[in-house]
Amino acid sequence: MRVEMFTFLVTATIVLAGSLGVVLLRNPVHNALSLIGTLFGVAVLFIAQEAYFLAAIQVIVYAGAIVVLFLFVIMLLGVDKSESLRREPILGQRPAAIVAGVAILGLTLTALLSSAARVTGEQSVLAPLDPAVPDINRLGRVLFTEYIFAFEVTAVLLTIAVVGAVVLIRRAGDPIDLGEFPDGTMGDVLAARAAERNPTIDDAADEEAGLDETADDAAATDDAAATDDAAGGER
Amino acid sequence: MFGLPTQDEPIPFDELPLDDPLLFDEPAGVVIPDIEWSAIAPNLILMLGGILLLTVVSLVRGRTPSWFSAVWTISTAVFAGVTLVPLWQRVQDDGAESVMAGAIGLDGFSLFVTGVMCLSVVLGALLLEGYLRREGLAGPEWYVLLLLSASGGVTMASANDLIVMFIGLEILSVAVYVMAAMHSKRVSSQEAGLKYFVLGAFSSAFLLYGIAMVYGATGTTNLVGIQQFLSETVLTQNGLLLAGFAFMLVGFGFKVGAVPFHNWTPDVYQGAPSPVVAYMASGVKVAGFAGMIRVFVVTFGPTYGADWRPMVYALAMLSLVVGSFGAIVQTDVKRMLAYSSISHGGFILVAVAANSEAGTAAALFYLLVYTFMIAGSFGIVTIMGRTGDGLHALSDYRGLSKARPGLALLFTVFLLAQAGVPFTGGFLAKFYVINSSVSQGQYVLALIAMSAAVVAAFLYLRIVVAMYFDGNTYRGESATLAGPKVRIPAAAGVALGIAVVGTLWLGILPGQMTSVAGDAVAQLVAIGP
Amino acid sequence: MTVDPTLLLAADGPVTFPILPALILTPLLGALAIFFVPARRDDAFKQIALLTSVVTGVLSIYLLTAFETGEAGFQFVVDQSWISEFGISFHLGVDGISLFLVVLTGVMFPIAIMGAKITHDIKSYYGWLLVLMAGSMGVFLALDLVVFFLFFEVVLVPMYFLIGLWGHGDRIYAATKFFLYTMLGGAFMLVAIVALAILNQRGVGGDLTFDLVQIAQNQAISTEAGRWIFVGFAIAFAVKVPVFPLHTWLPDAHTEAPTAGSVVLAAVMLKLGTYGFVRFGLYLLPEAAHWAAPVMLTLGVIGIIYGAICATMQKDLKRLVAYSSIAHLGFVILGVFSITTQGIEGGILIMVNHGIATGALFLLVGWIYERRHTRQISELSGLQKVAPVFAGVFTLVMLASIGVPGLNGFPGEFLALLGAFQTARWWAVVAVIGVILAALYLLWAYQRTFHGPVTPGNEHFRELRWSEGLVIAPLLALIVFLGVYPAVMLDRMGPSVDALVEHVDEQVDDFERVEITYVGASDIPEPGHDDDSDGPASDEHGEEGE
Repeated sequence: MRVEMFTFLVTATIVLAGSLGVVLLRNPVHNALSLIGTLFGVAVLFIAQEAYFLAAIQVIVYAGAIVVLFLFVIMLLGVDKSESLRREPILGQRPAAIVAGVAILGLTLTALLSSAARVTGEQSVLAPLDPAVPDINRLGRVLFTEYIFAFEVTAVLLTIAVVGAVVLIRRAGDPIDLGEFPDGTMGDVLAARAAERNPTIDDAADEEAGLDETADDAAATDDAAATDDAAGGER
Repeated sequence: MFGLPTQDEPIPFDELPLDDPLLFDEPAGVVIPDIEWSAIAPNLILMLGGILLLTVVSLVRGRTPSWFSAVWTISTAVFAGVTLVPLWQRVQDDGAESVMAGAIGLDGFSLFVTGVMCLSVVLGALLLEGYLRREGLAGPEWYVLLLLSASGGVTMASANDLIVMFIGLEILSVAVYVMAAMHSKRVSSQEAGLKYFVLGAFSSAFLLYGIAMVYGATGTTNLVGIQQFLSETVLTQNGLLLAGFAFMLVGFGFKVGAVPFHNWTPDVYQGAPSPVVAYMASGVKVAGFAGMIRVFVVTFGPTYGADWRPMVYALAMLSLVVGSFGAIVQTDVKRMLAYSSISHGGFILVAVAANSEAGTAAALFYLLVYTFMIAGSFGIVTIMGRTGDGLHALSDYRGLSKARPGLALLFTVFLLAQAGVPFTGGFLAKFYVINSSVSQGQYVLALIAMSAAVVAAFLYLRIVVAMYFDGNTYRGESATLAGPKVRIPAAAGVALGIAVVGTLWLGILPGQMTSVAGDAVAQLVAIGP
Repeated sequence: MTVDPTLLLAADGPVTFPILPALILTPLLGALAIFFVPARRDDAFKQIALLTSVVTGVLSIYLLTAFETGEAGFQFVVDQSWISEFGISFHLGVDGISLFLVVLTGVMFPIAIMGAKITHDIKSYYGWLLVLMAGSMGVFLALDLVVFFLFFEVVLVPMYFLIGLWGHGDRIYAATKFFLYTMLGGAFMLVAIVALAILNQRGVGGDLTFDLVQIAQNQAISTEAGRWIFVGFAIAFAVKVPVFPLHTWLPDAHTEAPTAGSVVLAAVMLKLGTYGFVRFGLYLLPEAAHWAAPVMLTLGVIGIIYGAICATMQKDLKRLVAYSSIAHLGFVILGVFSITTQGIEGGILIMVNHGIATGALFLLVGWIYERRHTRQISELSGLQKVAPVFAGVFTLVMLASIGVPGLNGFPGEFLALLGAFQTARWWAVVAVIGVILAALYLLWAYQRTFHGPVTPGNEHFRELRWSEGLVIAPLLALIVFLGVYPAVMLDRMGPSVDALVEHVDEQVDDFERVEITYVGASDIPEPGHDDDSDGPASDEHGEEGE
């Protein structure tokens, strides 16, 4: 195994582990810390490609500044409660998400593995980097020649981000639910559905039907009552 | 194996390509690209208009009257639209050009889309003016974001480089995410904003991933370069390129609300402030389709059309069917219109799937008509929502024909136009699309499209029934319109007037506009000498 | 709602006044005028509507007199480019086939406007009626596929509102069903039209064109494509006619529509489909029409029998008339798809005469409803004793609808059967049963409604008013006149129909033209001659009439 391959495998593991941590861990602080792992791994990948400047920027800006900012916000706002992931707003959402995820992964892997060694637009990937010219110079040049428009127009994007952040934080008053969701806000709907899924035993229909019947029958009617409830909820 | 650099030792100096200016350190070697301001004037005007507005109102805080921002926005958009005229003339006379170091294409297509974007800004601003006062939300930020968002759309439509297109898309989208959530008094607005943001960010990631793959397959992000590369090179291994297509299609599919990437549409349309939805449904969709056409039809079309057409074909079919049938079961007018906009998206995808100049022209004409129709429809929804923007149930429209006959008639015109009734722009738009589809031999798709239009017509009739028929009995007594009195702000009235005139004008005397759409061809030309 | 003013200047031929655009624009201007008159002025709307529709009617009658008898081609042609990008133009023209349908439209609308009263939303009612009139005129005059389609579809909107706003009972359901059915048919037709134009362009080269005459003359598309395209057209027209099994919208729409709506629907709108079959089936796609003829004939005959049986079973007088329309239009299909001169002429005669007779029937049923607020046959009885004149008028109209010789229903049915007998003998034989059934259901209904004891509620049935008599008088006159002297129509349509059959003969290889030679007459059957040769048929009517 060549050294590049080895480096890649190690850093890829770090990147993946970090991103999994961002998604899966419950504590926001841990999420933010995992993000650092991911960003750090990406920085290593940049180094492996001899893009030292990018690697430095990656560490300084992302890991250094942005994630630290995240942490500040988390600490200051005290958002250290873990979010419950048990609720499933749409029935069958989780299996569907897994299927879709696997499908996308499969598609990507098929595409990449079928032509991995043959990245067809090779000229740029394999172009030699002249060690005499530091890549910071190259980046600067490209930014102000070839990508001048993209570079300049990014300013607009940043402006929008600032305006948007300010606007959304400034509250004009308490949000009011004007009844555009007849069933209440999304939270109410979720609560109602959760209640549906665990019907209480003292359900009137249950009592009526189940009094003088065997245990099996009672269980069956229980199910029926539950589906009735679900249908009622749909209406 | 993973494409890591394998070059261990530097190439000897005499083998370096010395004519590459990048290799030289001296400033003399740097070719400063020719910045031709006039070529990007419309985009620049929208951009500067937004930023200047922000500056001006920040400096004179508290003293600008509420109409100031609206008037500013409208004049900016109109000004940008006016600058299109000489540019259009130039393109028609001298042919398309590539400007800004090859990042921006100046061609009929991009100018046409720019015009439509300006139109949707004007209509959106007119609707916003009365809306913001009614809701007590007045502030210049809405207009700033509107203008900047439109500039992003213009960037997207004229991008000749995938990176520029991506940034344009982000400018367009981020502003709209914010606007969707900006009705700070409504819970659902914020919910809509969050949903739109999360799903939009997802789609952007897909698009970016696709761009990366296409870059890997072709070695450039420049559309001209990609087109050249693909026409000169036969790829023995095109898996990466095809995966790139798929991912980019997912990204664009999200933006234009194509099934199966449409799930955000009804929720977001329902929750977001109505004038913003008017802009979202017109402007954002126009830009999304413009980007899609530019990348797929123009860049990949000549060489790889056979590979992506089945995908777009499937998207079109699904959008038509799901959009039309999904709309029927809705009881909320905004959701209905959301589903119908999915169905319209399917129609435009039919034109995209034709993968021809006629198809592009058809899509452009459709988008223009669609902007009038949908902005008008959501304009009426804006007015009918009344304070709180919450009265959107079908039953809230009951008896409108008695309370506000003019409004009911206008809405009928917009709905019938969406159904494709003759002598409205909607019919010709559909005709144009069917024409382009049939001329490519896609009879089945054309039939599905027309049948879906009939199903969708049922939806429009339901609204018409609610407005006209439900309210009065056979003997002519009529139920009155429930809820507070309907007030039509002057600006919204103007917007509706523009929309209805546009809808009918394109239906009755379309000759001029069809030839303009026909001339609005997208061309990728390498940067000139 | 504006039309290029140059349209008015583009008349061709000897007549300089652009009469065909005027036929479309006059009612449209009336509708615009109504739109701009404030809603308070209730009285003005009916006057405007009446004025513009009468002017249009007069123009259409003028067209009839100015029409060059003996010419087969299109006359008064106007051709004004509309969307040059696609080669779409406002190409209007009239020939012997469309002439009488135009006149029918011109005559029936003023009568419908005069003959029915409405109580609410007067302004929009008359506005929509005039838009409907303009649209119907446009359909019969258009010689461009897209323009034809435009008018064909646009008439849905006014009709939808007429049924939905001023209809009875389950009117919203009926209106929506009507709209969606027809629009679905239209969806197929639009694809067919576009495919036809594009294939025609590929076949002959040159620019894209949607011109009916050019495409019909070129015949540049392949047989198979032509058949598919015909199917597309046929679905649209079959819905509109309506041909069994696409007819289910018709009873609902007819029954729930207001009186004027029913009159117009029966008299004019149903003819859009049958006219389409003649013009866009036989003329445009002769090979496919000939290929599909057996199927169409079968469906036509099924329609005749089915419509008649259903009509027999109806309890609602209006619904009965509606089902009788299905039967009558079956005869049109039978005649047209026999592809003989007599059959097609008969079909066109039935179109016109059905319009007159059924229109009159709907008016009368509407008046009965106005008086009694019911249309149930069981609740009406003995009206003849209370209102003899009304009953007399009803009898005459009913007999015309049955097809009694001497009234206008007869020549058409006879010619259609005669034509069908030449090329589709067994279909014709079965169809004759429909003639008998027609007598059965109408006479039975008449007997139950007008004869018998005067049951409670019917004692004060009001006699025909003078105003009503004046409205229906022109129709009665036409019923008698066209029954006695159909040559007025046959002379004018003959050459065009001959040319049409000639055209089919030229274009279709295995088509055999069947000529009927008359003793003593070489080209056009004289009306007296028809009566002579029709001994047995008239006997049948006579027997059933007892």
